[in-house]
Amino acid sequence: MVGTAAELIEVTVLSLYVSGMATILGSAIGIPLGALIGLKEFGGKGAIKTITYTLYGFPPVLSGLFIYFIFSRAGPLGDLGILFTPTAMILAETLLVIPLVTGITITSVVEVDKAIKDTVKALGATPKQSVLTVMREAWVGLVMACMVGFGRVIAEVGAAYLVGGNIDGRTRVLTTSIMLETRMGNFEWAIALGIVLLTVALVVFFFMRLLQEREML
Amino acid sequence: MKKTTMMIAAIVAVALIVGAAVGYLLLKEDEPQTLKLATTTSTYDSGLLDYILPVFEEENDCTIDVIAVGSGAAMELGKNGDVDVLLVHSPAAEIAFVADGYGESRDLVMYNNFVIVGPSEDPIGTASASNTSNAFKMIYDNGTAGDAVFISRADNSGTHTKELSIWATLGFNKTEVAAFPESWYIQSGAAMGAVLDMAEEMNAYTLSDDATYYQRVSEDLVPHLNITYSGDSALFNQYSVIPVNSTLWTHVNHTLALAFAGWLVSQDGQDLIASYEKYGMQLFFPNAEGYVPSTESLAGVQVFSEVCVSAPTTRSGT
Repeated sequence: MVGTAAELIEVTVLSLYVSGMATILGSAIGIPLGALIGLKEFGGKGAIKTITYTLYGFPPVLSGLFIYFIFSRAGPLGDLGILFTPTAMILAETLLVIPLVTGITITSVVEVDKAIKDTVKALGATPKQSVLTVMREAWVGLVMACMVGFGRVIAEVGAAYLVGGNIDGRTRVLTTSIMLETRMGNFEWAIALGIVLLTVALVVFFFMRLLQEREML
Repeated sequence: MKKTTMMIAAIVAVALIVGAAVGYLLLKEDEPQTLKLATTTSTYDSGLLDYILPVFEEENDCTIDVIAVGSGAAMELGKNGDVDVLLVHSPAAEIAFVADGYGESRDLVMYNNFVIVGPSEDPIGTASASNTSNAFKMIYDNGTAGDAVFISRADNSGTHTKELSIWATLGFNKTEVAAFPESWYIQSGAAMGAVLDMAEEMNAYTLSDDATYYQRVSEDLVPHLNITYSGDSALFNQYSVIPVNSTLWTHVNHTLALAFAGWLVSQDGQDLIASYEKYGMQLFFPNAEGYVPSTESLAGVQVFSEVCVSAPTTRSGT
């Protein structure tokens, strides 16, 4: 139970840590992947796009189960002993971020590419320069991709509960606390924690929006 | 310059996250040794573990990581070597678990009571049932006649297992129960508290552990529900402690798991369990082998073992 201010801070910090790391990792993989799929011409592109968009609906519990089977002591990487640690949670959440970031990146770069391709070519840009220009122009969409990814994982409970275990002081995050308080019938506490979660999201999204609009100084 | 601004913003964002990470790691420094305990939601949510575990942690200079899931899931974690010790309530499955070599031993620790909960006016009269089996017969007969609704956990939890064992006394096996018509037999797949909330909304009967029911009552969430049948020994809910087999999984914290199991069934551990009160009453009744209640507060609580099916006496709450 999240009873004291210290516990609340700990749970909030861990939520930020897990969601933040998952967003960074997922974006580090998803943005290049999305740019590659969006800008490069290759066979089967339509199918890959469809699969990426389908994975928007990837069930979090399934992602959790997948990570569980890999990192369980009975699984292939069990010796690492990372099950029930924030690391396992980050990995499960990262799996959820990747398709979202990839898909939104594809859409953003394709739109920009369409609009400026000819101009860039006419100005005599090398392929590398032109990709960089497209990415820069797609900035708003790329930040959007990260925001959507962060939004998904900060609010996610299924995977976090399964591979984290909701251990007090170790893997308890805001969403698993909300679930626990609800299960225990402390509905008011659950709502209060929900408000904390939304406040945290508000702060994060405020900065991300500034980043998106390049207003940050 | 725009680029510089962007860089600064990105650095600030990364710094915030790294800061949170470092802060988190600093908080986690100097960990004493840990014991991973997989248990059921009832022991955790009732507050019992928060009451008894700190005493063990203090005495042994260790931390206990509690993973509160259903009994089925807890045993799965034990089977895969992901936890060190189990505290669960699903006797038949536990015996198989030990027999299959996943658990090292199984010791009875305590029991609490299941109760049949239903609409306050008890329209089908389960209060007059001669025993648990008879009360379920009433629910079945009235259910099929369209006069009662029953909500099942239907989630392989200890409570669900107990429910199935009662249906078994009426000759229904697991498959037959799962095939009961939805018109009166609702298979929720939800946690106990949520099922009680559902029963409140739907004017339905259900099987609940008493702690979760009292907790719902204390929050005033189930004003139209009442305990309509209780007290039969068939409704005892037995908890056992099982250290995970250390031959099968060499990495488990075997020493600490054994110490914990030993402590739970010791005089100190048992007395501590007996002294836990919530909602003005004792919720868990220690019954380790050879345990004799040593405090006056336990007068009237009957010690039973699984083979002995004596009727329980009234609870000893103050």
